[in-house]
Amino acid sequence: MLELREVSKCFAGITAVDQVSFCARAGEVTGYLGPNGSGKSTTMKMITGIMEATSGEIWFDGVPIHRDLMTYKRRLGYVPEEPQLYPHLTGLEYLVMVSQLRGLAPTLAAARVVGEKIEGLLRLFSLHSDRHSPISNYSKGMRQKILLSAALLHNPDLLLLDEPFSGLDVATGLVLRSLIQELAARGKVVLFSSHELETVEQVSTRVVILHRGKVVADDSIARLRTLMEIPTLEGIFSQLAVEQDTSAVSREIADLMQA
Amino acid sequence: MSQFRVLYRQFLFRAVDLELISKQADSSTLIGQFASLPIFVSMMLTLGGLFVSGRGMKPEAWQALVWGMEHFLIATTMLAVGLFAVLSWDSTFPDRRDVYVLAPLPVATRTMFFAKVAALGSALGLTVVALHLPCGLVWPRVFSTGGFGGWLRAIGSYWITMAAAGAFIYAAVLAVQGVAAQLLSRRWFLRASSFLQLAAFSVFLSVYFLEPSWSTPAALSAPENQRMLAMLPSYWFLGFFHALNGSSQPALDPLARRAVTGLLLAVGVAAIAFVLSYVRTMRRIIEEPDIVPSRRGWHLPITAGRSLRAALVLFSFRTLVRSRQHRVLLAFYLGLGFTLVILLIAAFVRRAANGTRIPEMALGAPLFISTLVMMVSVIVGVRVMFSLPLALPANWIFRVTEVHSPTAYVNAVRASLFAVAVIPAWIISGVLCFSIWPWRRALSHLAVLALWGTLVAYLALYDFHKVPFTCSYLPGKTRFNIVVLGAAGLMMLLIFGVQYELRAMSNPLAFAGLLGGLAIAALLARWRTVKFGDVDREGVQFEDLPPPEVQVLGLSRDGSPIRG
Repeated sequence: MLELREVSKCFAGITAVDQVSFCARAGEVTGYLGPNGSGKSTTMKMITGIMEATSGEIWFDGVPIHRDLMTYKRRLGYVPEEPQLYPHLTGLEYLVMVSQLRGLAPTLAAARVVGEKIEGLLRLFSLHSDRHSPISNYSKGMRQKILLSAALLHNPDLLLLDEPFSGLDVATGLVLRSLIQELAARGKVVLFSSHELETVEQVSTRVVILHRGKVVADDSIARLRTLMEIPTLEGIFSQLAVEQDTSAVSREIADLMQA
Repeated sequence: MSQFRVLYRQFLFRAVDLELISKQADSSTLIGQFASLPIFVSMMLTLGGLFVSGRGMKPEAWQALVWGMEHFLIATTMLAVGLFAVLSWDSTFPDRRDVYVLAPLPVATRTMFFAKVAALGSALGLTVVALHLPCGLVWPRVFSTGGFGGWLRAIGSYWITMAAAGAFIYAAVLAVQGVAAQLLSRRWFLRASSFLQLAAFSVFLSVYFLEPSWSTPAALSAPENQRMLAMLPSYWFLGFFHALNGSSQPALDPLARRAVTGLLLAVGVAAIAFVLSYVRTMRRIIEEPDIVPSRRGWHLPITAGRSLRAALVLFSFRTLVRSRQHRVLLAFYLGLGFTLVILLIAAFVRRAANGTRIPEMALGAPLFISTLVMMVSVIVGVRVMFSLPLALPANWIFRVTEVHSPTAYVNAVRASLFAVAVIPAWIISGVLCFSIWPWRRALSHLAVLALWGTLVAYLALYDFHKVPFTCSYLPGKTRFNIVVLGAAGLMMLLIFGVQYELRAMSNPLAFAGLLGGLAIAALLARWRTVKFGDVDREGVQFEDLPPPEVQVLGLSRDGSPIRG
């Protein structure tokens, strides 16, 4: 189980994440939602251990992650929001490098297994024919597939997916949607952040909604629907995290264009 | 703000790669630090100009000194501008990002073109001004023909000459680039560009350090020197300066004419090639990919290399080979080493030509020196390259996968330096030594070279706790004075070392002593690097500036920051 206990992050006096607490359990898919700038990606970075919290603690399976960060990182798979990759490496080279950095193949036999895994992932994500091309030539969707492959390669217990559907074609998006549920069913902890509320609604067991750095909802989607008497996640989200009248804003934009 | 001004500003600031910069630094700091080097050189030159005097000197000696200084200043300007031209090579033409951002906008190609030309001209002007600001006022006093009017004329002549010499070199580089862009397809142009850059680097450095020093009317008018003078533009501009300054002599007139012809020709060719290339490059970028996918060829098996060490060695090697920016900068260090080798060998050959008796054993000295100097150049160059990042935002993968102890990373980095620098330099030297010398002598020298390489590599890695190419870089943090002193000390050690090695070759006991001494030094360097690195406490470094000790609260009142 992943547990955040009153986690806060301040940048030069600005509080980006404010006393955030929630749990993401094994076997569940937890959707992490919020408008732009609400602190989702900052939280994700703190959960990866790249960024330290100003206050509060993050626990995984009953242990604070910073007590033994290396062991924790061995169990973590992360897809960042931006597809930042080394453009001079080929897709295959990048994945091999990630496997080496993670120490996945201490023996030749293990290296063969990892090699087959990499080849398999490249084939299943339809990247096999481009595996020797530099990443600089890849489209956004192809880069996203490389990030997903790198995150899944070591069979992590905790998956942090920050906008994992970004740039993916329809077929791969559908595969990923099923994959997330399949991985949760196999006992993984999955925390994923997305702006595609329809997908979140279909995939997630529960959601955490963040607004201005604070948690404004943390429950199962079904229970939120009942409590708030709103039939869709989009409606719940709009109620909790959207401050403006969207129709009025769209009218204003159209008026402004014609002015 | 007009389109021109917006683009001009963008292009000017892009002359420096802002992605290299540390998160907590800003662009003005970076530009200031880049500019500080020519300003420092200028200040040193100015001090010389303030105190130089011809009192007590023979007129011929004084004239030789003044002409020598004039030539030195012109040659230094040409070198600085030449290096700037090579470093800004990629920003000369619009790149893929420019085209894709600007092409959909209603911006005329000519606006982009003139903004680019103005930005390049400004950057070039800033380079020349930074190099000459104080000394361009002090030295003309020495070069003047007399009186206040003479001083004013010398100042004007000085600045016009320096600007013209810089413009000549820049236009020549631009012309080569433009002609190559016209003759080759975009794909081949991109490939040839890196080789042209390396060639330009080598030419500028070699000419600067190796050109003969002729600073007397007799040397400049000697028939045997005319052929060489016709190929040395710094002497053309010496003649040009004297023509403007009113101090010309018959020996200098043909050189001045050549300077004017050369300048007009270079600027003319560059202008035509640049205009044509600009329009065509824009179209070609849209039509062709920068890199065509390579599906054929040999690829390393997936199972080759399984450890963190393999990951870092392969990453370092691939980055050095595939990053044009790193290749060019590495070529600069290799060029310096190569120039030093040529200087040392030239001194040796001159000694031999003067009839100085050289012992038979010392005949191999040039190769001894070359291999040792090149070993140092490669190690220092690669070590500096390790500090310069590539695709900095992509370093998150190293942070997220940091599942080994920091010591394991440092060991892997050490292995990378040996694999990328020490071992290749040693193998190339081995091939050279075995092809020239008997095997016993070659083997002895290779043993010395291996220990020497190990020693320098460990010294270079002291306090280096970064994964190569992944840590942000803040220029100016390097203690340049310490580096210069260290390099000078290392070279002195090297020259004494070569002399000692030459003598020890004939004495097995002395040779064993030499090997033992080097081995102990290498072990001490290793011990110092490993023991005092304290990497386990500090961890692997990904940011050049540590997080601030005092957290800024960023308080504000009515939207304005509150200052203490």
